Amino acid sequence: MMKIFAFANQKGGVGKTTTAVTLADGLARLKIRTLLVDLDPQGHLALSFGLEKSPGLYRLVCLDEPLSEVKVAVRPYLDLVTGDKQTEKVKRQITLSDFRETILTDLLRDASYDAVLLDMAPSLDVLHINGLIAADWVVIPTRLDALAVDGVKEILTTMAEITRTGHSYQGYSILPTFFDRTTRETLIQFQDLARTFSDHVWPPIPQDTRVRETAAYGKTMWDYSPNSSAMEGYLEGRQKLGGYRQVLGRMMEVING
Amino acid sequence: MAERKLERRAALDPAVADLLSGMQQRQTESQLPRKERERLTKERAKIQSRRDLRATYDLPPNLRESIRVLAEELRLPASQLVTLALARFMNEYNNGQIDLGKYKQPSRSPRYDWNLIFPEDLIHVKKKK
Repeated sequence: MMKIFAFANQKGGVGKTTTAVTLADGLARLKIRTLLVDLDPQGHLALSFGLEKSPGLYRLVCLDEPLSEVKVAVRPYLDLVTGDKQTEKVKRQITLSDFRETILTDLLRDASYDAVLLDMAPSLDVLHINGLIAADWVVIPTRLDALAVDGVKEILTTMAEITRTGHSYQGYSILPTFFDRTTRETLIQFQDLARTFSDHVWPPIPQDTRVRETAAYGKTMWDYSPNSSAMEGYLEGRQKLGGYRQVLGRMMEVING
Repeated sequence: MAERKLERRAALDPAVADLLSGMQQRQTESQLPRKERERLTKERAKIQSRRDLRATYDLPPNLRESIRVLAEELRLPASQLVTLALARFMNEYNNGQIDLGKYKQPSRSPRYDWNLIFPEDLIHVKKKK
């Protein structure tokens, strides 16, 4: 059964796009049929795969073109619905529509994928609400600083409001990103998150300059730096803690129920 | 009224718990006097260096007991006896002196093709008189 994941945090610069790209590519490499959808007018998903920005979402929602024509196959098992500044027009169109909160849910309902990943913009608008309503599982990437962690609380509040309208989520996870285990502030915020959200906290992604380089080369982490600490996590004795590979495992557990 | 059953909250993700406890330990250590910190760092390095030497295998209990008894009798570390036994086995196997064929039985596990089924007397090591 298809699972829809939304990557959301109203705070910008917390690693939503990198996380969505890396996990989508990881799923595809495991032969999970995956669709990645760019809900952000910045259109950075296309750039992450070395493509030009294009109005994929605009064509899907405003021009009523079928998903099969709008999606771009970026690699085996991985398709992409791109976005660009025309995504702003999508928001206006949705605002004027009937049943406006469920437009994305309706468009994705019959898609033949195992996993759909929605990369959300750092905002709280009608497209954001559409993404949260379409999602079965919400992944909330966050830096471990007070402002970003506040963004986590905001998303959870919005999810709670959506739940009151009758939508139910299978779950949510908080993903600490840009993790620097040597600082005291990281420890304090990490302890706080773990105490408050217990098993909703996924293993963190270590801070790693390779991530920034990866985006600049239009590659994914799997191609550019598969052995970097952001991918592999911290080595503690014999075990690896955190990193995208481990998080991919957690995501597979969600997909397999 | 029936007593309400209380449920504990689910535990942390194991990787999160391990990472958190490591960070807390480092934080505590950072507040210790310098000498104490150096001692702990040395100890950790020693444990770390021994980790690559560790291996876990399932052994029949009586075989494990025989190794323990012999190691005590000879006043040797059991690990060194096992190293000697395994090294000799590997050499003999590589020289074609050991045939596993007679112990092989098809396995029903999806992970392995074969199991080795040993006769009782092979596992029950007889003590040298």
